[in-house]
Amino acid sequence: MADVTTSDEWDVSAASGRRRRFTWNALLWAMVYPQRGQRIVPTVSGTLLIALALGIGSAAYNSANNILFITLSLLLACLILSGVLSWLNFRGVAWRLELAPPLRAGHEAVVGLGLRNRKPFLPTYGLWFDLVARAVDQGPPAVAESTITGKGLDLREMLAKAAKEEARGQLFLRERLDPRGVTRLEWRFQPVRRGRLRVELAGIGSLFPFGFLRKTLSAELVEEVTVWPAPVEYRRQGTAAARRTAGGERTARAGSAGDLQALRRYATGDSHRLIHWKASARSRQLLVRQLAAESAEGYSLWLRTDASVWPRPEQFELLVSFCATLAEDLFREGQLVAAAIDDEAPMPIRRVRDLELFLDRLAAVQPRGENLGGVSSPREGSMRGEGTPPTGMAIKRKNMLTFVPDGARGVAAYADGEKTATA
Amino acid sequence: MPMERKRPQLNLDELHQLKWLLGGVLVLLSVWTVFYLEFDAWTLMGLTTVAVSATLVRPDWPARVPAWTHRLVFPAVVAFFIGDLWVTGEVLPAVVRLDILLLLYRGVSYRQKRDDLQVIVLGLFLIVVAGVLTVSLVFAAQILVFTACALGFLLVITLVESAEKGAGKKVANGTPSWAMHTRWRRLWVRVREVTDWRVVALGAALFAGVVVVSALLFLAIPRFQLENSLFLERFVSKKARSGFNETIKFGDVTDIQQDTSVAASVDVTDRTQIPANPYWRMLVLDEYRDGTFRLSPTLRRAAFTPERTETALRGALRPVLGEPVYWTFYLESGISRYLPLLGSFEQLRFRETQNFRFGEELGLVALREEPATMTAYRVEGLSTGGTLPDAAFAKSLKEHKKSTPKSDTLLMLRLGVGAADRALLEQRVKEITGGAELTTGEFARRVDVWLGRHPYSLSPRIPDGPGDPLVRWMSSEEGGHCELFAGSFVLLARAAGFPARVVTGFKGGTWNAYSGNFTLRNSDAHAWCEIFDRATGAWLRADPTLGAGGTQPHGAKGEATLARRTDRSWSARFDSLRVFWYRRIVNFDQRSQVETLKAMKEATENSGRQLRALLTAAVERIKAWLAGPWDVRRVAKLLALAAGLAGAGWAWRNFRLGIFGAGTRRRGAKDDPVRREAGVWLRRIADFGYRTPDTLAVMEELQRLRFGAPATWPEPEAVFRRARQAVRELRRRAGARK
Repeated sequence: MADVTTSDEWDVSAASGRRRRFTWNALLWAMVYPQRGQRIVPTVSGTLLIALALGIGSAAYNSANNILFITLSLLLACLILSGVLSWLNFRGVAWRLELAPPLRAGHEAVVGLGLRNRKPFLPTYGLWFDLVARAVDQGPPAVAESTITGKGLDLREMLAKAAKEEARGQLFLRERLDPRGVTRLEWRFQPVRRGRLRVELAGIGSLFPFGFLRKTLSAELVEEVTVWPAPVEYRRQGTAAARRTAGGERTARAGSAGDLQALRRYATGDSHRLIHWKASARSRQLLVRQLAAESAEGYSLWLRTDASVWPRPEQFELLVSFCATLAEDLFREGQLVAAAIDDEAPMPIRRVRDLELFLDRLAAVQPRGENLGGVSSPREGSMRGEGTPPTGMAIKRKNMLTFVPDGARGVAAYADGEKTATA
Repeated sequence: MPMERKRPQLNLDELHQLKWLLGGVLVLLSVWTVFYLEFDAWTLMGLTTVAVSATLVRPDWPARVPAWTHRLVFPAVVAFFIGDLWVTGEVLPAVVRLDILLLLYRGVSYRQKRDDLQVIVLGLFLIVVAGVLTVSLVFAAQILVFTACALGFLLVITLVESAEKGAGKKVANGTPSWAMHTRWRRLWVRVREVTDWRVVALGAALFAGVVVVSALLFLAIPRFQLENSLFLERFVSKKARSGFNETIKFGDVTDIQQDTSVAASVDVTDRTQIPANPYWRMLVLDEYRDGTFRLSPTLRRAAFTPERTETALRGALRPVLGEPVYWTFYLESGISRYLPLLGSFEQLRFRETQNFRFGEELGLVALREEPATMTAYRVEGLSTGGTLPDAAFAKSLKEHKKSTPKSDTLLMLRLGVGAADRALLEQRVKEITGGAELTTGEFARRVDVWLGRHPYSLSPRIPDGPGDPLVRWMSSEEGGHCELFAGSFVLLARAAGFPARVVTGFKGGTWNAYSGNFTLRNSDAHAWCEIFDRATGAWLRADPTLGAGGTQPHGAKGEATLARRTDRSWSARFDSLRVFWYRRIVNFDQRSQVETLKAMKEATENSGRQLRALLTAAVERIKAWLAGPWDVRRVAKLLALAAGLAGAGWAWRNFRLGIFGAGTRRRGAKDDPVRREAGVWLRRIADFGYRTPDTLAVMEELQRLRFGAPATWPEPEAVFRRARQAVRELRRRAGARK
């Protein structure tokens, strides 16, 4: 399983001024006009304060009464204090997204938001964070539309569709973030579909300190992550067991038993029992033994994505999910040898990393020839998985799993032309 | 490195308790304005204080109130307000009582956020109304405390809101969990635990900054003179607290003398003009009837102009050459509608438009109504002498020389006593004058002496018997106060054919050494007389009260005369604050703003000039010193100076972080032995001037130890060991090169 991926650096608020060189002009301008990406909206109490200030100001000018001028000055000074405290609250706060791939479509995913207060003695309170997760568009790049060319486009429908495909969440910093303190907030959501997912920290907001103004900063912090296909339930047929045939394939994979396969550098998490002390002493670096797992006869997966075969999107999604589930199950049982998609060279699946790469590919796969004008009708043989395999698989016809539509909605897996599982 | 102890945090219940506490304090602070507002709201204020204090102690009590009562509150409050308005007919007091009632309700019931905001707005309204109506210095203190509490309250509201976000709304029915087991002592301990003194110090500094910024804003907010000063005053009826009215009974002035509160403060641009024994005239009483002196309707009609609505009026005196002397008066509310003045003047200017009547010959100004707030006015060219020319009276006196004393025009000659008393008075006059024709001044001196057999007493006894009480007292040897002395003088003068009148006002006062102004207290209230001198056509001041010295020459002025009136007591310190408040805040207007800006500009220019002059002088001195003959001593001095500068630079470079970063960002950076040792090794390696690949790797680790976060540190001992090896290697190579 891959490690938690985080942003390389802590991102910081514009309030900390890291991105802009300090100038007095910029400071003065920032006081009267919000910086790019900042939004300040008065709340109910803020509106009340402004109304009060206006009322008292009018009364002060009408009556030339200095008591009212003092009150007006105090109200305005409080507004300035609110701005200063808010700036201090944001200042020195850094954040980063901590994603723990893989994410799986339909399964709950956790997005961590690491927060760090770099101020020396001032705590930070009452922030909230707007998070958005939306699929990265895999289609052709969007064409810029003008009012003329865009005539007839239903913007509402497009926006509603976009909103439907994205997940939004809000995280609240409920407790004090101590000076030089670090904390982590978690956002749980379910990715709707496989593919590349862009998780974005859309904004950071706060009502601190007095709740007069709702201040929002844009964070511009984006992380992309792959969402693997959702696991599906499938039914195995009786002949599903891998058959050991004469001249069948034997593979050597890294495992926890068997013969010594190689030596490699020590990595965090390796068992100390695997350290090869003599070799380590000779090479002056820690080396561990890499053992070969028990070799076994295994299956090869061949996924063909012809749009002509899989015209229905939901069936295609089922195909990809079924393929991914099968690949994982077979790997867990030590029965997956290689996998290929369409005409690509087959990938030998020896380690977890190989399987992850294959699942990454599956996450991004789209029906082939979808954009082509004409699609050849599937051959009879291919419907039973008897098509011509990729070059690298030509000699490994035994135990090769292929997929064909099973009725209008289902998908069937064939091993050497024999149905082995359906989903 | 020692781990910093993690401070605890207040939980949601504790935050709610803090919010409840601050809300209650705000309610109490607001309703206590009644103390100086002088509205009839004492019952409501007392009720609110008791109820809110009780719910502060026991926050669970509001839950015992049946829910249906909350539905009745709104109609009950509306009914109360309408009834109040109906009965009293005064809008502002009714609104103030309504405000207190609403605060009472909000103070004793559980509040949502909008209710909390309501508490702040209602409280602010009360305080601002009180400030506008009284212009009191208490307002300044109260608005500051209120602002601090309100900001803390809003902060806690925001924290509560933040802590509750996403946690779902709590059920509002029943006693909230935070109110069930509230222990304020424990909360206090918890607040102390979670409080960081540095944050508190910063908060205090920021609040001080708020005060400074608001002061700057106050100075900078553009002012326009809209000539409309009627604001809240029109909604409230005034009641005079002092006895300076058109009618004065014996004992009125002495009643005022019991009150030591400040009646007026006077600023003067040239303190040498302050007379040694100032008499601040406010009211002239010409008619004596039924044992009472009063301002007769005749004189009021004849001497005062019709009512005017202006900001300035021109007096009887004509401007003279030279720098004019300005007298700025700050007359407290509740003193009188007659303004204290020393005599005639050139010009009088109010801070805001006033309705007034002016008695030019009397030297008096009367406002239409008793001012409910402090009244400020500036007088230019004020006469400080003891005489008041009155050509009109002299003329009328000449015209009616042979008319009877009953003539209305000469009320100031009318005795207003019975025939027996008149005879008695004439007999007394004969005793005083010895039957001789005396000048006005001599007559006044002799009466002064004659009345001197009465001791001074604030609790006089007037002998029983028939006739006029004043004549009875005069004939006795009982003690008396200023009114009796002045009244007796007037009757004796009139009996002798001298027109005379009683004048009330203030005598003396103290010189506040801190704020540099004259302070008149109610205890300075006084009554004296003015006797008309036919020879000069002017009224002469005569003060027959024992020891008053009113008939002595009045010309003494100057700094020396102030010395014996100088007040350096604690009350003077407090009064100086009040004067500052009046001078700089209440009396601040467009003209003051321009003057302040000019003063700031001048101060800036002056300081710039002074700085330039200082620098030029310093450069000249250095040049002269360098141009002088050199000897060993001078060289040694120069070297010592250079060494001192170098030492200071070194100290700055090495210790500044220790000074400025103590307890903050770099805390421990210098004290941490690991960082210190890493710094030592880095300097040692840097001394060699060249590097090897091994050295570079060690330096990288040392820099991490020196400057990096402790979490990223490599093992310090191993790094120092490698650094030691690297230094040895560098030494070896250096030796080999040689």
